[in-house]
Amino acid sequence: MLAQRFGIVDIGMGNLFSVVSAMEQIGVEATTVNSADQIGSYTHLILPGVGSFREASLRLDSTGIGEAIRGSVRDGACLLGICLGMQLLGSSSTEDGVSRGLGLIDFEVDRFDSVEVGGAPVPHVGFSRVSAEPVVLFEGIPNRSPFYFVHSYRVAEVTESSWCAHAEYGSRFIAAVGLERVVGAQFHPEKSQGQGLRLLRNFAMMGR
Amino acid sequence: MKSPRLIFTLLFDGSSFMMSRNFRLQRVGGVEWLTRNYRFASVSEAIDELMILDVSRGVRDRTAFLDAVREVSRGSFVPLSLGGGITDLEDALLLLRSGADKVVINTSLWLHPGLIEQVARIAGEQAIIASVDIRGGCEASEVMMANGSTPVGNDTGDLLGRLGHLPFGELMLTSIDRDGTGMGLEMGSLELLDSSFSHPVILAGGVGKGEHIADGLADPRVTAVATANLLNFVGDGLARAREDVRSRGLDLCVHLPAQSVAALSVNFESEPT
Repeated sequence: MLAQRFGIVDIGMGNLFSVVSAMEQIGVEATTVNSADQIGSYTHLILPGVGSFREASLRLDSTGIGEAIRGSVRDGACLLGICLGMQLLGSSSTEDGVSRGLGLIDFEVDRFDSVEVGGAPVPHVGFSRVSAEPVVLFEGIPNRSPFYFVHSYRVAEVTESSWCAHAEYGSRFIAAVGLERVVGAQFHPEKSQGQGLRLLRNFAMMGR
Repeated sequence: MKSPRLIFTLLFDGSSFMMSRNFRLQRVGGVEWLTRNYRFASVSEAIDELMILDVSRGVRDRTAFLDAVREVSRGSFVPLSLGGGITDLEDALLLLRSGADKVVINTSLWLHPGLIEQVARIAGEQAIIASVDIRGGCEASEVMMANGSTPVGNDTGDLLGRLGHLPFGELMLTSIDRDGTGMGLEMGSLELLDSSFSHPVILAGGVGKGEHIADGLADPRVTAVATANLLNFVGDGLARAREDVRSRGLDLCVHLPAQSVAALSVNFESEPT
């Protein structure tokens, strides 16, 4: 069997250092990858992201990395989007005007509205408990474990073909999503202590 | 719903970690002292976030600061906020690239408010903690900057109100009078905020024990309490304080220790399938 190869996609906007350290902690050597022609050599890709959806979307397009990620996924690679990276898996976002995502899972991203969060502050910052279906990504993680969120935008409805996990902030929102080998976490597993490391470990075990 | 947060703050001056009392700094020890007394890899489940501030009074040596940050936060998988003396975009981005989830900006809020917009445009507003130091209580108060050395103004409510329009995520209010005293938080600072103020609030300055943390978190306007009291929580002090806060009915969440997650063998080459 081919050894797994882990690439952390660098579009100049994510907290790569933390993700690399978290992967190291679970015994996985991951390298950062910042050019489209290297993307294809990885069995597992992680797309972290912090910042504006529009900016990230432009960078994915202009560097060709977006297209390369789509190609890799078609060829069977596993992909984990973290925070903005999860939002980028979808079709589009309204952050800074509408811009396109990778279109790997059918959903749209929109800002929390104040009614939905019951007047609570946005961004939603902090640990929220996540309820998940029994999917591989959450294996071994007690239901309603706390994960660390920092976001003002969230995934709106997803179609039935994909699974999702929920958390609450005023009302229920989508905390994680998955469709076959493409998974996303709105929270930061690399900042969610042991429960986050376990999730990364579960991702590393995917596709075996 | 969201859990309240406990933030532990470390003050680094380029070579040592410091204890601050009313913003006067006293050397406590270097990285070795800190890692001996607070092994973050094993105590981080007792906190929710770590904040490390470069409080060098002279020229800041970011290389030394980031080396210390790396050393201290190794093996600890918690949200990290970094700051101290951020005056330009490049510096803010350097900290964000070096593992910071959020940058803490204080003096530049007043001197270069445009910086907040620049950082927000690239990193998002949630990546910015606006840190405001306040002298005095709610009756007579003054906003200070530059390590508490320079007054910004005594129309504190107005200043905070104006600040509220900048694109930052959280607001941290630190009481200079309570700082390092262990006498409890200055809850009066919250009265300075207009009821329409919509950013999450971190309250800091004065925490000496679990009860103070619980007092702060019990106020619905407070989403997090920060303590930089390096001497009161050595050893298992943070874990005990957290337990104390939980026993008072505050819903600090329970984290799985990072060490409880077994490592995979290197990229599975030797693992049986």
